Order: sequence, then structure tokens, then C-alpha cells
Amino acid sequence: MIVGKQKSIDEVWAMIQGYKKVLVFGCNTCVAVCHAGGNKEAEVMASMLRMKAKQENVDIDIQDSGIERQCEHEFFESVTERIEWADAIVSMACGIGVQFTAEKFSTKPLMPGINTTFLGATEKPGVWTEKCQACGNCILGMTAGICPIARCAKRLMNGPCGGSTKGKCEISKDLDCAWQLIIDRLTALNRLNEYETLIPIKDWSTDRAGGPRKVVREDVMV
Amino acid sequence: MEEPKKIPRDWEPDILAFACHYCAFAAADLAGVMRLSYAPNVKIIRLPCTGKLDYIYVLRAFEQGVDGVFCAG
Amino acid sequence: MNVKTPSKLEKILASGQLAVTSECGPPRGSDPEGIIKKGTMIKEYVDAINITDNQTSVTRLCSLASCIRLKLMGLEPVLQMVTRDRNRIALQSDILGAASFDIFNILCLSGDHQSFGDCATGQNVHDLDSMQLLQVVRRMRDEGKFIGGEEIKRPPRMFVGAAANPFADPFEIRVPRLAKKIAAGAEFIQTQCIYNLDRFEEWMKRVRDRGLHEKVYILAGLTPMKSAGMAKYMKNRVPGMDVPDEVVKRLSGTPKDKQADEGINICIESIERLKQVEGVRGFHIMAIEWEEKVPEIVQRAGLYPRPVV
Repeated sequence: MIVGKQKSIDEVWAMIQGYKKVLVFGCNTCVAVCHAGGNKEAEVMASMLRMKAKQENVDIDIQDSGIERQCEHEFFESVTERIEWADAIVSMACGIGVQFTAEKFSTKPLMPGINTTFLGATEKPGVWTEKCQACGNCILGMTAGICPIARCAKRLMNGPCGGSTKGKCEISKDLDCAWQLIIDRLTALNRLNEYETLIPIKDWSTDRAGGPRKVVREDVMV
Repeated sequence: MEEPKKIPRDWEPDILAFACHYCAFAAADLAGVMRLSYAPNVKIIRLPCTGKLDYIYVLRAFEQGVDGVFCAG
Repeated sequence: MNVKTPSKLEKILASGQLAVTSECGPPRGSDPEGIIKKGTMIKEYVDAINITDNQTSVTRLCSLASCIRLKLMGLEPVLQMVTRDRNRIALQSDILGAASFDIFNILCLSGDHQSFGDCATGQNVHDLDSMQLLQVVRRMRDEGKFIGGEEIKRPPRMFVGAAANPFADPFEIRVPRLAKKIAAGAEFIQTQCIYNLDRFEEWMKRVRDRGLHEKVYILAGLTPMKSAGMAKYMKNRVPGMDVPDEVVKRLSGTPKDKQADEGINICIESIERLKQVEGVRGFHIMAIEWEEKVPEIVQRAGLYPRPVV
């Protein structure tokens, strides 16, 4: 899922200056799971901003709302009125949702309430880790199911580098060396001999390097 | 940083108490039955369980001018 | 043994004589004097001089320009090239640039992470990794082809090297990793600084068990310690470095003003011991900001005069 991290109240507060009616708009899927931008978090953010307004003695009406996903048209129908009411929106969705909402309401000023951090998993409550960079050309079959592109600080296809120490990355003792994990898993699978297979030069054209990507599936179009 | 305001001598804070139906609220009820009086500046809200205490309740309480929130369960 | 390039380093190694290389870090400015001075200081004592490529991710005068300086002075540079800062276009382009000045040696590296340097908030590239860069250089040289497959007019003639760290983790893949680098095209190896000689010898034994020492020239890396403080720093702070307690103790037990001399002694003793290790074909002496000590180390280790080929 997409993992995000809430922006500070002060940063959001600065962005909404000058507006009279602000809607803090939650997105209740990915960013709700990581407690950053769900409808609940939108409600809390709105409350905090109202208190901030009171402290600063600023006349501003701050409400909250939210939908299941800000990246699909269908979900917006129920909230069109709320959005029309506001003269600015703080979208608590990931960067995708913020842009999707902006495209739908072309004359409505829109601010991001969170920072989209990565594509990752919930390790345990309160801990999320990056797992994928959406390079568009999956090599997990060659790397024992652990992605060196997302999880090695140098995205080495043929790692580990000389900085791998006691299973940790050279940039941080809190970060697992992805190649140590790959080797451990190859060992567990009794496939360590595969380590010596050179992973060829990667075609990055399916990644960001190839420009914005698009998937078109005529068979599922309506 | 702003200097905290001087608190007037006779000032009493408004306290909102969230109490669990099965223990803390029952205790408050019992106090009532026993005709024990307690401070009038504490308002009690009964919850079926303190697990129901959403943090938005706390924030709303503060937004509406409560000075302190008390939770018992 | 056949030589494939005009590299002096390759010729010396192929002749079976122990090679000696050293390295210089370029300055943090545009004055070439530092490189010229360092090169002049050690030229009689080493066969080739590595020029580091923005080592520890600190921005410096570029490796290529520094190599050209040395080349114009008649010295033999080894172009270090990291994949951190350049994509495949820039890497190939710089290789051609180096080849146009008849720079005959290249060392392919991935490079330290940028978070260690002066541009911690910068991007890293890593379009290729060090193994893939090895393959690219070999293909450019041997097949005369770019990555895209087009022909290169006057292909580069470079003796291709890689680094190996016998001490990094996990130990069990240290030798397979060397094998992988050889398969990718490495012809010579310069190792990480060796302080734990027992562990290095164990690694070399495993290298010989697989016959890898017959397929690649291994130059043992050495960095003399300037002080007990440096030893402790290397031990605790530098990733992938294995400094045994005895080395730290030996330096700590030496009076401060004699610690540098003792560091040199340790280095020379290490060279003497490593000469006995089958498969060690030379030494890579990395006297960090202490290049003036290289002549003394080479002389006292019995590696002087250098062969003429």
C-alpha cells in the first residue's frame, strides 16, 4: 500500500491562510491504514486547525469530510456538495489522491495534508517499511523475493557492497542490508549457488526514467 | 515563548470526565445514591467502555473550552 | 601470460613480478598542484596511481582530469570510476574521454553512499552497479561496442579492475562475490585495507580453493595507521573495516609521538607476511593524505626499485 506521513499542523496552517472555508478531506484506504490521512485523521486535523485558529484569533471555518478513495471517480459523488462549499481543500490523500481531486475540481485550491513517503508494508503496528519502487519490470524472481532496487540504498543489482556490516546497511545500523536478506533467503532455499548469476543491466525505461507511465486495458474498459 | 497567564484565585477548571459504564460510572452513581457530593465543575459522560474513548472526543472537548479531560475505567 | 592492453600495470603483473600501486585523492579545489606534487613524490616507487572518484562522496576535482594530469606527467594512472554519480551515458563517455588520453587502467566501483559526503541531500544514480560497469568496459574494449550495441571507433584499451572487501559481511559470499566480479570481467583486484591478516589469509585460501587466484591478479590493500585514534576510528566508524584489537592495542601502547612510526612498521610487517600468501600478486598502498610515506614503505618492504617493462 501507499504509506504517508502527516504534515505538521503549522505547515498545513500556513498553507490555508487567506481562506475562509476549508475542508480537510480524508482518504480512507492506504493512508488510513498508516494513520496518516484517513477520514479519522482528517477529523482530527480539522479539530487541531480549529484550535489553532482560535489561538491565533483567525476567523476561518474548518470542516472535515472524507471518502473511501480519492483516486477513483465513483467515490466523489457523495461529497460534491461539501467540496463545493469550501473555498480550499486540504487533501489528506497520497499524492495520487491530491492530484486526482485537483483534476476533478479544477477551480478549487487544493493543498496536501500529508507527505507521500513510499510503497510499503505494515511490519507491526506503528512500523511501516518500503518494499517496492514500482520500477515496472519486476526482478524479485532473481533476488529471492527481496527487492534490491527498493531496499538497497544503492539499488545494487549485484550486491552487497563493501559497506554491509553485520547484516546492516552502511548508511544506518537500523537498516537491514537488502543483499544480506537476499543471501539469507537464498541459503534458506538452498539456492545460494544462484548468487553468482550476474543480474544484467536493467532496462529503466519502464521506471520513472521512461517518463510518466500509463496502463491501458481495452478488455476491461466499459 | 508566551508567559502563562496568572490564574485568578477563585478560578476552577472545567473538567470533563469520561467514565466506563461498568466501573467508574457505577462508582459515581453509587456516590450519588449515597448522597455524597462532588465538585460541580466536573461533568461526567458515560461510555459503554473507555475503549470507546475516541481521541476526537478529547479534541472536541478542548475545542469547546474544557480545561481538562479525565478518563476513568 | 598474454597482455591485452598497453597498461604498464598489466605488463608487470603478467611478468610475474609483485606490482605496487598507490592512490591519491584529488583536491577540493581547482588547483592541480596537489595532484602533481603527490604524483611526483611517489612516481619512482609505484607502478600505477589510482585517482579516487569523489571518495566518501565528498565533492572534489574529478578523477578523470586528475588522471590526465598524471598521464601528461608520464605517470600511469588508474581511473577510479563510481556508478553513484553518472548514468550509463556519462560512464561510457568518460571511459572514452579517458581512453582518448591513453589512460590504460580503470577500477570499477559502486561508491560510498552520498549520505557520508558533502551532498547528503543529493540524488544517487546507480544506473549500473560495479559489476555491470565491469561488463560494460570489457565489452567496449573486447568487442568494441557500446551498451546499445553500436560500434565504437577506436575502442578503449583498458586493464579492468575491481575492488574486493574480504572483511565485509556476509563472509560466506565474499569469495563467490569475487568469482562474480571475475565473471563480469575483472582482471585485477585491489582489496580493502587489510589489518586482520588471519581473516585475509582464510579468504585467500578459499580464493585458491576455487582457483580464482589463477584468473585474476589480487593486489592486497594496505593503509598505514597514523595514530591509535585513527585505528579506533577505522575500527568503529568505517563500514566494512576489520581492525583487530591487537592493532589498536599495539598503537595505543606506543607513545603518541611514535605512533605514526609504529603504524608504518605494522604496514611493512603486513606486506612481508602477505608476500608469503600464494595468490597475492602485489600491493595497493593507500596512504591517506600521507603519500610522502609511500617511498619509505616501498623501500623498507623490499619492493624497490620498481621493475621496468
